[in-house]
Amino acid sequence: MTARETIFAAIKSALAPLPEREPRPAVAHGVADAQWLADETDNVALFVQRATAVGTMCFRSSSDCLAWLFEQQPARVFIPDELRDVTAKFEGIVEVVRSYSRDQVDEIDTAFTPAAGAIAESGTIILTDESTPDRLAALAPWTHIAVVRKDTIHRSVADALAAMPDDPNIIWVTGPSKTADVEGILIQGVHGPGVQGCLLI
Amino acid sequence: MAKQLIDTYVAELPPTVQKAVHQSTAATTEKRYQLLGDDYADSDGLRKLAGAIRQHTLEYLDTYLAQAEESLTARGAKVHYAVTAEDACQAVTGILQAAGITKVVKSKSMVTEEIHLNDYLANQGIESIESDLGEYIVQIDGDHPSHIVRPIIHKTRGDIARSFEREGLGDYNDDPETITRRARKFMRGKYLEAGAGITGANFVTADTGRLVLVTNEGNSRFCLAPAKVHIALVGIEKVVPSDADLSLLLNLLGRSATGQQLTVYTEFINGPRRADRPSGPEQMHVIFVDNRRTEVLASDCKEILRCIRCGACLNVCPVYRQASGHAYRSVYPGPVGAVLSPLLAGDKFKELADLPKASSLCGACNEVCPVDIPIPDLLLRLRNRAHQEHVPSPGTPPMAGFALLGSHPLIWRSAMTFGAAKDYLPLDRLPVPYLGAWLKTRTLPKWRGGKFRSWMKSRHGRNGGGGK
Repeated sequence: MTARETIFAAIKSALAPLPEREPRPAVAHGVADAQWLADETDNVALFVQRATAVGTMCFRSSSDCLAWLFEQQPARVFIPDELRDVTAKFEGIVEVVRSYSRDQVDEIDTAFTPAAGAIAESGTIILTDESTPDRLAALAPWTHIAVVRKDTIHRSVADALAAMPDDPNIIWVTGPSKTADVEGILIQGVHGPGVQGCLLI
Repeated sequence: MAKQLIDTYVAELPPTVQKAVHQSTAATTEKRYQLLGDDYADSDGLRKLAGAIRQHTLEYLDTYLAQAEESLTARGAKVHYAVTAEDACQAVTGILQAAGITKVVKSKSMVTEEIHLNDYLANQGIESIESDLGEYIVQIDGDHPSHIVRPIIHKTRGDIARSFEREGLGDYNDDPETITRRARKFMRGKYLEAGAGITGANFVTADTGRLVLVTNEGNSRFCLAPAKVHIALVGIEKVVPSDADLSLLLNLLGRSATGQQLTVYTEFINGPRRADRPSGPEQMHVIFVDNRRTEVLASDCKEILRCIRCGACLNVCPVYRQASGHAYRSVYPGPVGAVLSPLLAGDKFKELADLPKASSLCGACNEVCPVDIPIPDLLLRLRNRAHQEHVPSPGTPPMAGFALLGSHPLIWRSAMTFGAAKDYLPLDRLPVPYLGAWLKTRTLPKWRGGKFRSWMKSRHGRNGGGGK
């Protein structure tokens, strides 16, 4: 017998004696929505509030974002071509590079990538391989700013799950990378970004 | 006094570790409670629903596992099955050798702990580095995780600073931020040179073949960004029917584990790179591991397979808080481990048969469980199994005397009357097994035996009879 046959035979013989089996319970859409979600009417405002609460910096305009970025004095900023229009003002003020490769991991300390969407309820940014073709660009730099279109913000976690795109890799980012492994003390920027930002357009 | 093995560990636990474990588990329990209360009017109802989903999946596991395999295969992943721990390790080695890979990075996975994958790979000459900060420290120390979610809950910053110094990651520095930065820098090099990323999975959806991985550090994402091959080791019980079920399970997992609405990174993977999505690993392998799970499924403790490894039962357990994780001498500590570890031990059940007794059956583990596992009931079933299999039980006082008293009303009544004599006897010097040791740390109250019976009688008298 193959390993597969052995395992399936063992499962079947384990389940055979059950007099009846647990039926599939109905999981109503939104059954695990936070109870306060019903009182919220503005998805964008809610997203900003929730994202800020988990430590994601939110920018309402590219000028606000640029003003903040300029103060950080970034070494090199990766901005892919498709975001050229959004960040037109950045040219000449910070050093912009248009391509990202793994041998530049230590040089590029800030990266902008387009997000596939967001979730208001949890303040989550959604990235996919389609929106962010280079996974490293959204992960390796100290500062990552996801560019989120306001009309792509889902209201709840359940809504986002009901509208999962066809992509081999979807990642929800809810705040900067963090750990509390050392004596329970919260430290940001373990492997991923220490600063997670979001530019709303 | 003869002791259960777990008691020996507790006695040897340094007070600093015990204090750290107690504080941190209590704080996480409090955060969990606050957040669930803020967000849900009926979080108890949600736990029960999630439990029903998991139980349903287990009872149709043959259907859902086959469906998950089909969904994954359709999206270009290669699915393997491993009956034993050894089979699983061999499958990983086979994939790596076929691809000519000698260096891998790993994200945290309980099933890889269970099958001792790192040791196996090291013996095959393959370098396997744990990327989760806590797991990395466990690895360089040759230690074992002591908590499902917080593997180094038993270590101080000083311990870690000494380990980093020893490994050449810089001079002694016990600042948590410096420790984290050093790990970040070291791990960058490892991620980029690794040929494969090895992960577990928190869930696998049957209908869409999604592997769900949650981390706070971003390490699983990093394992899968530059590597050519992704190997996921997944317990066969991790399947859930559909994406819709995840809305409930993910919402409960983060809140229960760490008091977060969602863990920072929630990653959904259903296949290797494609022509239209040329990012990520070229190969994706999913190894479904049995390693005695089908035996657990056939037992009267199958409910334990609902577990989603949040660690809430560890955090709330008065025994875990005193004992810490190593006292459980197995991969899974705490209440879930007291059930799961003896079951997964196979013919070594007897060696871990003391674990189900390491509980006051207070029920807190069941109350916090996001999938409503009746852990106290399962502990009792395992105690019964140990009794049936004649596992010796040192430290348990002989209960035959009580059984005699309890089953003969006449003897009971006279014991209640003459029991008052105990107030005048030097009990700690009587030749009753364990009594002396038991009394060393306890004072018995004054004898009040028989009072209930006389109260009952007088009550009947006042109410105009009704008794005999």
